[in-house]
Amino acid sequence: MTVTRQHDGSTDEPDDLKEADLERALRLVPRGAAALAGLAVALIIVGWLLVYLLVFLPRGPVN
Amino acid sequence: MDEKRIVRSELRWVFVVAAAVTLMLVVIVATTLANALHPPSNVETIDPATLHIAGEFTEANLGTQENADGTVTVRLIATQYAFVPRCLPVPEGRPVSIRVTSPDVIHGFIVAGTNANTMVVPGFVAELTTEFDEPGDHLMPCHEYCGLGHSNMWAVLRVVPEEEWIPDANGRMTCELVP
Repeated sequence: MTVTRQHDGSTDEPDDLKEADLERALRLVPRGAAALAGLAVALIIVGWLLVYLLVFLPRGPVN
Repeated sequence: MDEKRIVRSELRWVFVVAAAVTLMLVVIVATTLANALHPPSNVETIDPATLHIAGEFTEANLGTQENADGTVTVRLIATQYAFVPRCLPVPEGRPVSIRVTSPDVIHGFIVAGTNANTMVVPGFVAELTTEFDEPGDHLMPCHEYCGLGHSNMWAVLRVVPEEEWIPDANGRMTCELVP
């Protein structure tokens, strides 16, 4: 049997992955991505709030 | 993962981003209204070619002047590549109006560690009013690129405690008068 190697290095050789395992893994991956993105956005918002409330406002108005 | 779940996940993310932007806008609008904040918005024109010959920004009139009501007005010129005068004394905790203009190109006026910050555009007088609460020297670098000497263009704003604030008989105050 001729094994064809794809551009990403994978082959079309049969493996022992079960469809159910693949489904489960693909369900979990987006949760991690969402948690990472959510944490990054939360840190930016908290950082902005801290600078705005504790640095910018105490310096007083400039009119 | 089917397409519907992907769309739902993207919509959830849109909601998160919209909530974050809304939170920041609400905080900005609420604190702005509560503190009556507004950006300096002085539209006052001046001829940049003659401002050194006559009027408010002649050399003798530049610097710090204490007014009859106890407020202080600081007049300065931002020019390639210096602020005139180089040292500006202001009293601690009193309203200070800063009036600045340029005879040549656009410069930037900023006082480090404070919110005092404006552009200086030739043909216009920039004015801002604020109070300075932290005694000591504050760096004032030009923050609009104005030419090859831009990085050497800086001055000092000296916040003077009330007990050391002793202007001369005409209400003029210079850094040399600070004890």
